[in-house]
Amino acid sequence: MPNTLSASPASRGTPSVTDRLLTWLPTPVFQVLHGTGSTLLLLGRTLRHVPSLPRQFGRFIEQCHLIGYTTMPIVGILSFFIGSVLALQSGHAGENVGYKQFIGALVGLTMARELGPVMAAVLLAGRVGSAIAAELASMKVYQEVDALETMNIPPERMLVLPRLAAVLTMMPVLTIMADLVGWFGGAIVSKYTHFISIEPASYFANLRQYMDFSDVLNGLIKAEVFGVTVVLVCCNIGLNTRGGPREIGASVTRAVVTSLILILVLDFFVTKALM
Amino acid sequence: MTNNPQQTARVGLFFLLGMALIWVTFETLSGGKLWFKDKGYQLVAGFDSLKELKAGDDVRMAGVKIGDVALTRLAGRRAEAVLRIDSDKRIKADATATIVTQGLIGTGYVSIDLGTDAAPFLPAGGEIRTAATADLNSVMAQLGDLGRKLEGALGGLGTSLNGDSRQPGLLQKVDTILTENRENLSRTTANLQQITDKVNRGEGTLGRLLNDSRLHDELLAGVTELKQGATQARSFLANAEELVAEVKRGRGTLGALVYDQKAADDLKASLASLREVSEQLAQGRGTLGQLLKDDSLVRETRALLKKADRAIDNLDDTGPITAVGVVANGLF
Repeated sequence: MPNTLSASPASRGTPSVTDRLLTWLPTPVFQVLHGTGSTLLLLGRTLRHVPSLPRQFGRFIEQCHLIGYTTMPIVGILSFFIGSVLALQSGHAGENVGYKQFIGALVGLTMARELGPVMAAVLLAGRVGSAIAAELASMKVYQEVDALETMNIPPERMLVLPRLAAVLTMMPVLTIMADLVGWFGGAIVSKYTHFISIEPASYFANLRQYMDFSDVLNGLIKAEVFGVTVVLVCCNIGLNTRGGPREIGASVTRAVVTSLILILVLDFFVTKALM
Repeated sequence: MTNNPQQTARVGLFFLLGMALIWVTFETLSGGKLWFKDKGYQLVAGFDSLKELKAGDDVRMAGVKIGDVALTRLAGRRAEAVLRIDSDKRIKADATATIVTQGLIGTGYVSIDLGTDAAPFLPAGGEIRTAATADLNSVMAQLGDLGRKLEGALGGLGTSLNGDSRQPGLLQKVDTILTENRENLSRTTANLQQITDKVNRGEGTLGRLLNDSRLHDELLAGVTELKQGATQARSFLANAEELVAEVKRGRGTLGALVYDQKAADDLKASLASLREVSEQLAQGRGTLGQLLKDDSLVRETRALLKKADRAIDNLDDTGPITAVGVVANGLF
């Protein structure tokens, strides 16, 4: 299938050099470029509507509730066990090497800089991203989006902006909870595992010795990047759904998979940039 | 679009809780200082080598963190570490900074001792005294050196044992000797075998010495005698000791002689009078002296004895004469 037919309206009419170059690209590469471009354009279009945000406060709160409040329990449970297993594994591995006393710093830094934001974002993609993609895809398939456009209500303003604002507000909260719960999980495991048995006081003293708030802040910035990415990708894929109801499911799958891949790819680059 | 008021409250609570947690974490980890850390003041520490030290490592005084290494740089022929010290921590001018390696993985920190009370404080930007410390690497280098020497020594030993292309080694030489003298050696061992067999059978002097029980008995008897002799000697010594003890206590003649002052005085007096007598004798004074010194008495006595002899002869010749008459004849 030629790439030009599947997507860009710009390719209609006389094809430019760039367009002809694009037709030569393998389809997956073209789709990646198409997805990246359309997501960035969606972001641009959404940001144009930021002044209308106060008027959408109700919708913003609703999205905050969905993204933040209802996601909190699962983030808490997951982070607790991630912190615990981190302490358990490092304690087991470090038993013979003698870095047991550094478990506090190890768990603390890993949770704050890496696993807290990544896990929060993964859960966001699974729980919220899928919901966003499904909702927008069905709205698109059942022509509700078209109806909005007909009424001169840009879907970016009504559907994307509140979600974007909500995720920006809620991601730091989710991440700090993930961090703290993970730290406590590690502390509990460190105390009650017989081959580690480090008192919480020394665990947290070690954590404080080797950690700075900049580490936590680093994680919060990463979480914001992941959150915005997940919401934008899921909105974009939802709004670009074509065809019948069957496409809704396909869109959800694609949205979640793309989000997860992007989280991990971006994780590398954001970490590198923040170092 | 209207919101459920409860939903709004929940979101608000959740958000505020999150912000509070971020604040608590921030206060706990950074003590409220985020971008503008305590600038403190700086000191310069010059070393021959900074080893593993890098910017951001701790500066500790008596184990307590008081700052960190702001930057490391090369200044001419030495390396300098610029230390950022917390503004409320003052360092004495005679305090010494050393680079300490923490553990085997080699993260380092600068350790500063307390200095003395009398010394003034170092001013900001001043230079602190430093001392070099042996680090793991130099210890390892020494160990490596030692290893090389050991290897050389062992190699020399190996060469002398196994030889090289020019000269056969000790083992080859021994091998040659053994090969050349195999016949002699086997003969010698055969002889030795015969000798030991004989000895075992009790033949010859040595065999008898080893196998005959008589010798053993005699030896035993000799030892017994020796023991008896020793016992006697011991009792003799005991008696002698007793005697000496008696003497010491001043008992008996010898004791009195040795320890009694009066007896000694008497003895001295006797000796003195004895000497007087002997002097008189020597000078021929007194009866006894004359007797000893004057030989006229001897002559007279000899003449008297001659006369007596003649008188007895006459007595035989002249028949019985009264004893008085003979004596009178003889004397006159």
